[in-house]
Amino acid sequence: MATRNRTVIYRKHRDAVKSVRAPLSSSASGSGGPVIEMASLLNSNRSSYAPLSTEDPGPSSRDAFTVGLPPAWVDDSEEVAANIQRARVKMAELTKAHAKALMPSFGDGKEDQRLIEALTLEITDILRRSGKRLQKLSSSGSAEDSNVRKNVQRSLATDLQNLSMDLRRKQSTYLKRLQKQKEGPEGVDLEMNFSGNKSRLEDDEFDDMSLNEHQMHKLKKSEQFTVEREREINQVMQSVNELAQIMKDLSVLVIDQGTIVDRIDYNIQTVAVSVEEGLKQLQKAERTQKKGGMVRCATVLVIMCFVLLVLLILKEILL
Amino acid sequence: MVLVSAVRDYINRMLQDISGMKVLILDSHTVSIVSVAYSQSELLQKEVFLVELVDSISKSNESMSHLKAVFFLRPTSENIQHLRRQLASPRFGEYHLFFSNLLKDTQIHILADSDEQEVVQQVQEFYADFVAIDTYHFTLNVPSNHIYMLPAVVDPSNLQHFCDRVVDGIAAIFLALKRRPIIRYQRTSDIAKRIAQETAKLMYQQESGLFDFRRTEISPLLLVVDRRDDPVTPLLNQWTYQAMVHELIGIQDNKVDLRNIGKLPQDQQEVVLSSEQDAFFKANMYENFGDIGMNIKQLVDEFQQIAKSNQNIQTIEDMAKFVDNYPEYRKMQGNVSKHVTLVTEMSKIVEERKLMLVSQTEQDLACNGGQVTAFEAVTNLLNNERISDIDRLRLVMLYALRYEKESPVQLMQLFNKLASQSPKYKPGLVQFLLKQAGVDKRTGDLYGNRDLLNIARNMARGLKGIENVYTQHQPLLFQTMESISKGRLKDVDYPFVGNHFQQGRPQEVVIFIVGGTTYEESRSVALQNASNSGIRFILGGSVVLNSKRFLKDLEEAQRIARSSPAVV
Repeated sequence: MATRNRTVIYRKHRDAVKSVRAPLSSSASGSGGPVIEMASLLNSNRSSYAPLSTEDPGPSSRDAFTVGLPPAWVDDSEEVAANIQRARVKMAELTKAHAKALMPSFGDGKEDQRLIEALTLEITDILRRSGKRLQKLSSSGSAEDSNVRKNVQRSLATDLQNLSMDLRRKQSTYLKRLQKQKEGPEGVDLEMNFSGNKSRLEDDEFDDMSLNEHQMHKLKKSEQFTVEREREINQVMQSVNELAQIMKDLSVLVIDQGTIVDRIDYNIQTVAVSVEEGLKQLQKAERTQKKGGMVRCATVLVIMCFVLLVLLILKEILL
Repeated sequence: MVLVSAVRDYINRMLQDISGMKVLILDSHTVSIVSVAYSQSELLQKEVFLVELVDSISKSNESMSHLKAVFFLRPTSENIQHLRRQLASPRFGEYHLFFSNLLKDTQIHILADSDEQEVVQQVQEFYADFVAIDTYHFTLNVPSNHIYMLPAVVDPSNLQHFCDRVVDGIAAIFLALKRRPIIRYQRTSDIAKRIAQETAKLMYQQESGLFDFRRTEISPLLLVVDRRDDPVTPLLNQWTYQAMVHELIGIQDNKVDLRNIGKLPQDQQEVVLSSEQDAFFKANMYENFGDIGMNIKQLVDEFQQIAKSNQNIQTIEDMAKFVDNYPEYRKMQGNVSKHVTLVTEMSKIVEERKLMLVSQTEQDLACNGGQVTAFEAVTNLLNNERISDIDRLRLVMLYALRYEKESPVQLMQLFNKLASQSPKYKPGLVQFLLKQAGVDKRTGDLYGNRDLLNIARNMARGLKGIENVYTQHQPLLFQTMESISKGRLKDVDYPFVGNHFQQGRPQEVVIFIVGGTTYEESRSVALQNASNSGIRFILGGSVVLNSKRFLKDLEEAQRIARSSPAVV
């Protein structure tokens, strides 16, 4: 695709104009002084970045344009973005830990389990905290600023949701593989043993004591495994549930791709419409408030009526 | 993906080198250009957190200097004025200016003059100056489209604007594709000739350096034709999905506005019909109404199965699977309800307006012969009170276009009947159409009765029997494309501009219809491209027409022509 860069011509002309303007401005600098002072007074009134910004770039400054400081919520959003990045790094570690745990090893595997647990908890925690913080991004300032804030929220929410889904998918594959592994060698044995056990107990209970003992030992062992496996599964399930909760909260913020909400022109229209709607709501609220005065009066009068009625009845009773 | 991916590439390049939070500022034309090719969520991924129109930007004075501004505008004088005001009191930290077409030197000077704060970091021309609605179909959304029907003397300045916009759009297409074409135009159309010549001047003389691309063996072809050469296609009722939705409801920039239609849930009031994002639509956009019904039923059945299995959650594993698949499920639900709503609405309209009956006669008028039977059929429908005014008007127009010269008495009878029955009918509209697009003005063989070969072909088709009586019609464009494929486009009908010449068949062809294209024609182009004939066709027009739009253009042109002293 063809493009053409006109910046060079533009800069040349801009510099040419500047050099023409410069000698003129040096003669006018005397009168420029008081103008600049007035301008800075005006600026201090209209700043929306109150506590943070100490310098206000006035439109009358002739020097290089200084970049003003962004509003407070940008810091929050940047923190959330940093958290997401950290969570990504931890996810990579988790993948490695999963792979290691699934490999056949000589040891107990308990350390691996603990590492996996710790990592999973950490990641879930980061995601949950980021989700909550995202929802609470404070809004102040103009409509445009709140639009920017809303869009930043949406973008971070999409990232968070993708991470959560990723984590869940990793966990469920790990879980499935874990189940397959644990069931594999023991499952067949268990089945045979149980069916064999039952038939024998029915027929001849006290025959073959030795076999029974052997079977009891195997039973205990398989019980242990079952308990452990149940614990692991429960843990994973718990984190799955938590993530589901996070996803539900975030889904309000995330845009569905391919729908009308994902269209740029629709979003531009809605801004205009929502400003109008806001105005209507304000007017309605004003009206209701006025009416509210009436409602209050009427309520007071009704209460007074009741009170007087009660007094009347009391008077009749006591007299 | 050809046209859409060109626009996407441009936008990607605009945004990629600028880091940090950005605001994208567009004008009313570039909004359409960007919206059909790029989604809001993709913008968010590129850290564009605000999108605004250039005229509303100046209304606020609030300084947002932590944002970098990316402007993507058409280089019009109004936009340059808006920019001047912005640059005089800048609101954003940095300004990156991208224009969708060629800038004049004076415009650059005006901008440089007002940039006292030196906030502008770059000024570039990125030639995405067309709305890429489908893979091989683009439009320009030209306002005041009707002006092409009027002679130049009536309103020369507006006509010049029209031509400039069209030439800019066509130039942008070729710059985006990095080609310089051989240009041919329809002989009988003055405006086609004018546009072809101005395009040639731009590409070969004024900006020949810019268009000097690596030459391929066979240059691509640009063919500029006039809508009035085929007035039948926009008047016909359509029965294939995309064309039908546009005809009955209306599609604008791949969006369908359903707000006038009864009570719909909030998220169904405006829907998106884009072949890029909707797989079901992509598979069904060129299918006819009966097949669509069946396919939608299949889609609904699939969806219901998934919904039922979602309700049947018993184990925790089921729940986990449900949460996993929830986003997909929600997307599918939205999609299914969108298509069901559209098809329901169209069925309702078909039933109300008795379109099956009307369309049968329309197709007969467009495709088959028999003046007497045609006259009877049209008269019967005119007498039928259930037929709406617009349908009656279309029937009479179709009859008039075909049997213009045969039996003028009967034609007058039809005109009178139409005038007496339709109170809103602007008298003389049909005659105006005949003056614009009558048999004397047309080049192409619209009814296949000029050329011996075409007559024979029609007879063969009649003997073979017709698959679907409602989709018999082939737009004239189909014949034009066939002629180009065989290298047999007649020089006498479609001459070359200047001293261009082309031997043999081109491999890339852009056909531009001045006055507007229709979705039936874009379907024809897509099917032709899919048939792997070795030639790639791209279709474009000043607007996308349906019968309502075409009639509106006719009425506007007639009104202006009447009130202008210059027209005889």
